[in-house]
Amino acid sequence: MTRGVRWSALGIGAAFGFLLTASGLGDYDTIHDGLLLTDPYIFLMMGSAMAVAFAGLAVLRRVGRTRYAGRLALPHARIERRHVYGGAVFGVGFGLGATCPGMTVAMTTTGGLLGLVVLVGLLAGLWLRGWVERRQRQPLSTEPTPPVAGPVPAVRP
Amino acid sequence: MLGWIGGQLPWWVAGPGVGLCVVALYGLINARLGVSGAWLATIAPVEGWRPDPWRRTFLLALVGGSAIAAVLGPPVALHGYGRLSEVLPPVPLVGVLLLAGGALGYGSRWAGGCTSGHGMSGCAAGSPDSLATTATFFSVAVLLTLGLHRLTGGAL
Repeated sequence: MTRGVRWSALGIGAAFGFLLTASGLGDYDTIHDGLLLTDPYIFLMMGSAMAVAFAGLAVLRRVGRTRYAGRLALPHARIERRHVYGGAVFGVGFGLGATCPGMTVAMTTTGGLLGLVVLVGLLAGLWLRGWVERRQRQPLSTEPTPPVAGPVPAVRP
Repeated sequence: MLGWIGGQLPWWVAGPGVGLCVVALYGLINARLGVSGAWLATIAPVEGWRPDPWRRTFLLALVGGSAIAAVLGPPVALHGYGRLSEVLPPVPLVGVLLLAGGALGYGSRWAGGCTSGHGMSGCAAGSPDSLATTATFFSVAVLLTLGLHRLTGGAL
């Protein structure tokens, strides 16, 4: 890992963790009320995050290069069954616990120590999926980010 | 703890800030920002494979940044699990939380990402798999939450 990559991961990880926590996403009620459709905060936050990221990526596509990792290759993958099945299972956890892999960290640091219980479940769930994949003799999903099939054209036709 | 920042930043600060994190990670190291991938990297030694080294750095930084926000934020007090801990006694609560966490882990590995990897980073890039995953998990979570609300007579 070069120094640039390390500092990038460090800075962005810290900023991301800070924002997730300072926006109260570690609080059960924030997420639960959002999913109950009584508090629009999480949708406004997520929507504005997507809008800004979408605009930023439009600029990045024009540049076409990354600072430390060569040519830009944004993810672009077809829909498969696993996205719907996996998404549905994930949705059960999201609805039941009103938290997600990142928000659990925010919950724990702000005193919600039961977030650690969710975390134990999370790691067990990740491992269990790997175990099932090995049994089915599938290639193990080593990263939730599947490798990008090929470079995405900088300008879409 | 210090009370220098409030409990909840306005959405128009937090949302765009998170969006910039997504863009920055793509633009600097060509990587999709995702937290489930970072957690997965921590169990890689058990499974005998090597994750991208940046993922552990990212996870440690995430925990650090979150701790900084907790220190600068309102007083931190140990607390339960919101309204869920008012409805459920401690032992069933732990069981439900293990189940919820298990579903988050299993589902995110199956689908290849979570709220950050698919929900924000993948959707912003316009990747069809991310749009499908995100639409699915949000729909299921909203329906489940509305169902729990009815089932518990509004207690949840």
